[in-house]
This record gives sequence, structure tokens and C-alpha cells, in this order.
Amino acid sequence: MDRPDFQAEIRELNLAYLMLAQQMLRSDRATALFRLGIGDGLADLIQSMSAAKLVRMASSQMLIPCFRFDDAQLARLMAGEGRDATSASLHAAILAAGKAAEEAA
Amino acid sequence: MKNKTVIAEAEDVRLAVEMVQLGARMQMLEVETRLSREKLLKIYKEVRGVSPPKGMLPFSTDWFMTWQPNVHSSLFMGFHRFFSGRGGVQGLEATLKSYHLYLDHIEGAAMEPVLSLTRAWTLVRFFDADLLQLSACTCCGGQFVAHAHDPVHAYVCGLCNMPSRAGSSRKKTARKAVSRTRQLVPA
Repeated sequence: MDRPDFQAEIRELNLAYLMLAQQMLRSDRATALFRLGIGDGLADLIQSMSAAKLVRMASSQMLIPCFRFDDAQLARLMAGEGRDATSASLHAAILAAGKAAEEAA
Repeated sequence: MKNKTVIAEAEDVRLAVEMVQLGARMQMLEVETRLSREKLLKIYKEVRGVSPPKGMLPFSTDWFMTWQPNVHSSLFMGFHRFFSGRGGVQGLEATLKSYHLYLDHIEGAAMEPVLSLTRAWTLVRFFDADLLQLSACTCCGGQFVAHAHDPVHAYVCGLCNMPSRAGSSRKKTARKAVSRTRQLVPA
């Protein structure tokens, strides 16, 4: 039986995510916190990690990045469902920015 | 006011250049930096190649209530709320970071920017002066720019309750507006 285990793909995605997060945090921390949606402690950790540690952290069975907002209406708007795609994307961005500010508070 | 150190002045020059690149007007530069007017004029001309526009800044809060500007300024204030609340970023830096995010979103969606940096800066000052507030839409829960002390218990935002013609004029004028903003704001 063929059983795809997605190990390699998951590791690749995890590593890409961690490296991107580290780059973003190092170039502009405040904006990166907004875009990544992570807390200060985790941000400090990722920011200071060595490449070897990032690789070790990436080789896990589970995906490290996960869906940010558990909100079906927001996801629909992000996909452009609504009267027109342009205003749907603006609406989604306003709701998402509000959620980011609230989860931080 | 004069700068005390050369390093502080260099930092002000860097900020002024960034603001001019983003489309700031002279009034904003004069308030946010401690450089002389002559120096600011020189920076402006060097970056943009033209003299800065003269005249007063728009001072009415009503502009932010019309449909399209309201949507765009609500997006900007959403970013700003994050930075001033959680990001630990204050004042001008928060405005610039939020404006960068706003432009990123607008470019990503291939729209034309409606909110200029100077307008965004004015918006933040209106919030500081308690002329405007963020009201939660009772339908979608998003935070939208509204007059301060307006009743909020039945507030519905312009995106949940879109006026019938909203968005339709935009498509027709989009091409014109894009060429116009390109001239105004060289990326």
C-alpha cells in the first residue's frame, strides 16, 4: 500500500516558515509581530536561534504554522466572496487587523 | 527648534526623506522633525524634483466619513491600533509603519491609494484630539472610523451595508486615478 507521509514536505514548509519569520523579525520587529501573529517570548526565541536549531525545530511531524483566525466569515471575505472582490479584500483586511490588535491586548 | 547633535540631525534627515518619498507635505515634515524649513525644502526638492504644494492642509473630519475614504482610513487605523497597543511603537514611527502596511495591502490588491500619508497623519491627530473614534460594526464586528461620541449601539459599517453605487465609479476612474497617483507619489 502506498502511504504518503508528507514528512519531507512538512519539514520543508516548517523550515521555510521559520527562516522567513526570523528574517522578518530581524528586519522590522513590530511589523513582523503583526504579520506573524506571535507573542513576544516566541519572537525573541526565533529571532535569536541559530540555523542548526531552526533545522532541528523544523523536523517535526506537525506543521508549525497554523491557521491564524478561526473564522469562516473572514476566510470567505479573504477569498473575495462578496459583492466585489476588491471591497471584500478590504473588509477582510480591516477585520483581520482588528483581530490582531485584540488578541494582543 | 535646533538639533542638539549631528546624529540626531542625521536621523531627522532620514525620516524626512522617508516621509517625502511616501508623499508627506511640508506641514507634516515641520511638525515631525527638528530641521529648519530651508533644509526641509531642499530635501523635498531633491527627493521629488518639484517644489512642495502650497496652501493649508485639509482640516475637516467629514472627509473620513465618506464611503471610500472611511474604508481606507479604517484599514489604516486597524494597523495603527496594533502598533500603538501591542507593538510598543509610538508617534511617527507607528504612523509610518502602519502606512507602509496600508500601501502593501493596496498594492497587493491592485487598487489606488485613497489615503495619503499626510491624511493618515491628520487622522491620527484627530484621534489624539478625540474628534474621531473607532466604532465596532454590529454586523461584522470590525472597527471603523466614526465621529467621536456618536451613538454606537446600532452602528453598521459601510462594508456590511454598502451604498448601492459604491465601488462602481471606482472601476471607471481607476485608470485615470492610477496615472495621477503615479505622478504624485513616485514609488
